[in-house]
Amino acid sequence: MFMKDQEVKVLEDLLEDVAPGDLILVHGPPKVGKSIFCYQFLYSGLEGGEPCLYIVADYGSRQLEQRMMEFNWFLRPYIQSGDVYIIDLLTRLAGVKVEDSVTLRFSSVQNLTDLMVKVGVGTRSLFRKSSKFRSVLDSLTMMFAFNPPSLVLRLVKAYKTRISEARGIGVVVHTIGTVEPSIETSLMDLADLKLCFDGEKIQIESSAGRRSAQYTITDNGIEFWGIK
Amino acid sequence: MVIELIVRISSGIPGLDELMGDGGGSFVDNTVTLIYGPPKVGKSIFSYQFAYEGLRNDEPCLYISTDYGLKDMERNIANFGWNLDEYIDNETFYLIDAISTIAGVEVESKPNYFLASVHNPTDIMVKLGMAIRQITSKASRFRSVLDSLTTLMAFNDEVLIVRVFTVYIMRIKESGGTAIVTYTEGSASCKVENMLKAIVDNIIHLDGENLTIEAMIGGGKIKAHYDITREGIIVD
Repeated sequence: MFMKDQEVKVLEDLLEDVAPGDLILVHGPPKVGKSIFCYQFLYSGLEGGEPCLYIVADYGSRQLEQRMMEFNWFLRPYIQSGDVYIIDLLTRLAGVKVEDSVTLRFSSVQNLTDLMVKVGVGTRSLFRKSSKFRSVLDSLTMMFAFNPPSLVLRLVKAYKTRISEARGIGVVVHTIGTVEPSIETSLMDLADLKLCFDGEKIQIESSAGRRSAQYTITDNGIEFWGIK
Repeated sequence: MVIELIVRISSGIPGLDELMGDGGGSFVDNTVTLIYGPPKVGKSIFSYQFAYEGLRNDEPCLYISTDYGLKDMERNIANFGWNLDEYIDNETFYLIDAISTIAGVEVESKPNYFLASVHNPTDIMVKLGMAIRQITSKASRFRSVLDSLTTLMAFNDEVLIVRVFTVYIMRIKESGGTAIVTYTEGSASCKVENMLKAIVDNIIHLDGENLTIEAMIGGGKIKAHYDITREGIIVD
């Protein structure tokens, strides 16, 4: 239950242990708010002047804009200003004709090599723009449906290296139970910080130790409180 | 002023719209909802009601049926006192029938009636593309039903069906559709079930007694009792 007397924390309080170059693994079962966390991470970065590379892998860029609008987070101005660089992996599957723009690139969930090329171009362009930037890969679920798990794992390693070299902060989302446990263990090992969502509580695990907080999804995004 | 950006469409299930949001509709427009549960709890009936509600309100419906051909569907629907003929004739009801060819049933050819086979999911997607082109030339929004994923998985590799389902979702969303999809709980591996739950927007569980909204864009978890009556599913 939401306790009114406890201070609601913002995302930044949760992420105080995060340093540039870190990879954050956001994991948990389906429909607990992992993607909403990503939108919030993206949007708070943009509002604070940090550009962002966003890889949409479970739906298209149009759906990303729609979903964010439900929280009154409007992405369009940032797409136009070039502060957000989107790589869209699914829209082409719909068979619609789409064309790349400077900050919106269409790739395919079945072609991880092309994705890595685009991640390279994207990180370079953001790195030139700002010394601080964020990156989100949401999520690995469809990648696991379309590729061998070992290949997806290699992609995550390459992604981590790219983001880390450019001193960005990277987020990767994984839905627990969509791949063999051995691959999940390897994913956990790659992360500098792990955020586990279960629908009520979030567990934060890093080299600095473990913390936890309660959370609720509201019209304004995820609200955290009671950080321990 | 708060601008309401979420448009909800009516489910066609008496009681459900009221439960989910002051009677202003149930499903968020342009989303995909998974209806799952054990066998014989009303998943197909839910689908008929959702489709029929759209048809009555001049919204075209694109129905992919893997368990019943056109004749069986017409009969099932007639049991509840609803009539599909009008919508077949005025070409607002589009059916991709993926079972009649393997059942060897003779069917007459109509522009809004497509034959495919559960053995060939790629062909189902080709027919989906053709049907969507016809529908979107007439209407900017429509409903779609895929009943059921379980049958497709029984005839094909499960993960292949996850991929095909992803294509289905993207096509429906990019062309302005709102869909519901049925799946029998436990019929695929846990891994695949988790993938299905991850890629849809909303999840409703039926167990024969209770309807549980497990996930819904812009809403929380809700559980309510339901009955299957001669007028279809009614939520208390």
